[in-house]
Amino acid sequence: MNTNNLSTEKGILSYDCKVPAGFPSPAMDYMQERIDLNKEFIKHPLSTFIIESSGYSMINAFIPPKARLIVDRSLTPKNGDIVLAVLNGEFTVKFLKKNIHKCWLVPANSKFKEIEITEEMDMQIWGVVTNIITNVNDVKSCMR
Amino acid sequence: MDCNNFYVSCERLFNPKLEGRPVIVLSNNDGCAVSRSDEAKVLGIEMATPAFMAREIIEKNNVAVFSSNYTLYGDISDRVMKTLGSFVPRLEIYSIDEAFLDMHDLDYTDLLELGLQIKKAVKKNVGIPVCVGIAPTKTLAKMANRYAKKHRKSIGVHWAANEHLIKEMLSVTEVGDVWGIGRQYALFLKRNGFNTALELVSAPEEFIRKNMTVVGQRLFNELKGIPAIAWEFKQPAKKNICTSKSFGKLQTKKEEIAEAVSNYAAACALKLRDQNSCCRSIVVFLQTNLHRTQDKQYSRSINMDLPTPTNFTGEMITYALKGFDIIFKDGYKYLKCGVMALDIVPDQKIQASLFDKLDRKKNKTVMEVMDKVNKSLGKEIVRLSTQGFQKRYRLKTEYLSSHFTTDMNQILKVKI
Repeated sequence: MNTNNLSTEKGILSYDCKVPAGFPSPAMDYMQERIDLNKEFIKHPLSTFIIESSGYSMINAFIPPKARLIVDRSLTPKNGDIVLAVLNGEFTVKFLKKNIHKCWLVPANSKFKEIEITEEMDMQIWGVVTNIITNVNDVKSCMR
Repeated sequence: MDCNNFYVSCERLFNPKLEGRPVIVLSNNDGCAVSRSDEAKVLGIEMATPAFMAREIIEKNNVAVFSSNYTLYGDISDRVMKTLGSFVPRLEIYSIDEAFLDMHDLDYTDLLELGLQIKKAVKKNVGIPVCVGIAPTKTLAKMANRYAKKHRKSIGVHWAANEHLIKEMLSVTEVGDVWGIGRQYALFLKRNGFNTALELVSAPEEFIRKNMTVVGQRLFNELKGIPAIAWEFKQPAKKNICTSKSFGKLQTKKEEIAEAVSNYAAACALKLRDQNSCCRSIVVFLQTNLHRTQDKQYSRSINMDLPTPTNFTGEMITYALKGFDIIFKDGYKYLKCGVMALDIVPDQKIQASLFDKLDRKKNKTVMEVMDKVNKSLGKEIVRLSTQGFQKRYRLKTEYLSSHFTTDMNQILKVKI
């Protein structure tokens, strides 16, 4: 067995078998690299972290009650970004709303209140959420 | 570049509540404090204080205590180093939290600005606070880093840009705090009237020639701004490999210690394969706890030369267990065992032994498959049965945080 065929390049373990050649494939000259989700969703691997969120405060921003979020620390948080923030020592995920005077953490669910950041509060942006990963089975169990 | 209280900073990154609170990280087996937050330093918890001795301070001041989470620290360290790598053409990783960056060929005229950018990038992108010291030699750069930590706390960067600044830095650094000067040597220098690094640099040539070894002279040059310590951009292959740990609690049973020996032999074999080398001999050792004077003491090691150099897990375990069988004696309470791989050679340069019964080619393939499977599916998914599964002898890691960045089941959980 030639172990070089045991490919783990994309984080997926697969055993590619060699198919004996018949006619040369007409697709040969058109081959491209298979899609790599890491490359698509993680632009800055060194500053990217994955977290698991739970709760309903961002449901209208399409973050379901259980989700995995890709968070990039290297991005500069802008008005309207979904951010992972640290508010008085606690992590939370909210929309960031800001103007030159003030700054808010805004939920995407009318049952939750938006939080105005005042001077007494200690608030830091840990990173910017870039993608939401949902397992369909988690969604199904919420619908029941 | 030197990370500030690196292990504590890693813990704080995923647990922001620890900000402002005294935090310590304990060594392997939850023994001594090996990383302390500034708040813990103020409380007087010294480096390498055994945790049980500091218990009163810990309880009274609500100090947060962690076991060392090397899986996490290793990944964060890798992120820090690679982030640094984007700033300079070459860097030398000196330890898990220190690196030398070669700034020689850069076009920057203001290295202080570069230092600030580096510090800012590591803090923002990876989340770890660091200090940067910039100077003409490694020894002076280490000193500049220390200077930044002590005297330029708010900026965290110091550039010893000219003779005047170097002199000032040397004058506030005691000889004992110079990189490469040990305690004994510092005492000797002080006895001879050299208290600060500046006084040492101004020492008469005569004294240096008479009293310093080659290493000492190299250091003397470095302090004068003449580079004398070579760069090591590629980590050299290790000359010998040792895996040994204290048991979580004292062990008496032969089977359980044998399991530990098997695992350490397997770990050595993996390290050998990782650097494409084989070993020609194996040492197995075993010892009781010397500090427990009430116990009978025993310690022994055995060195075995192998007929053919190897890095195969199975073969290494076989020999290690043979050795263990010879040195093990019933009736003692064992603290520690270990396996060393010595006399390391590159794996292509192996001369087969005439009486070799092992199919080495086949074994090599098996090892390659095993390593690949383990690397993609999880550490030690495939292993030999003697390695066991329970690891009853395992280290104490009572206060271990999660593997936030390497295990999907342990990622940071946030209630939103």
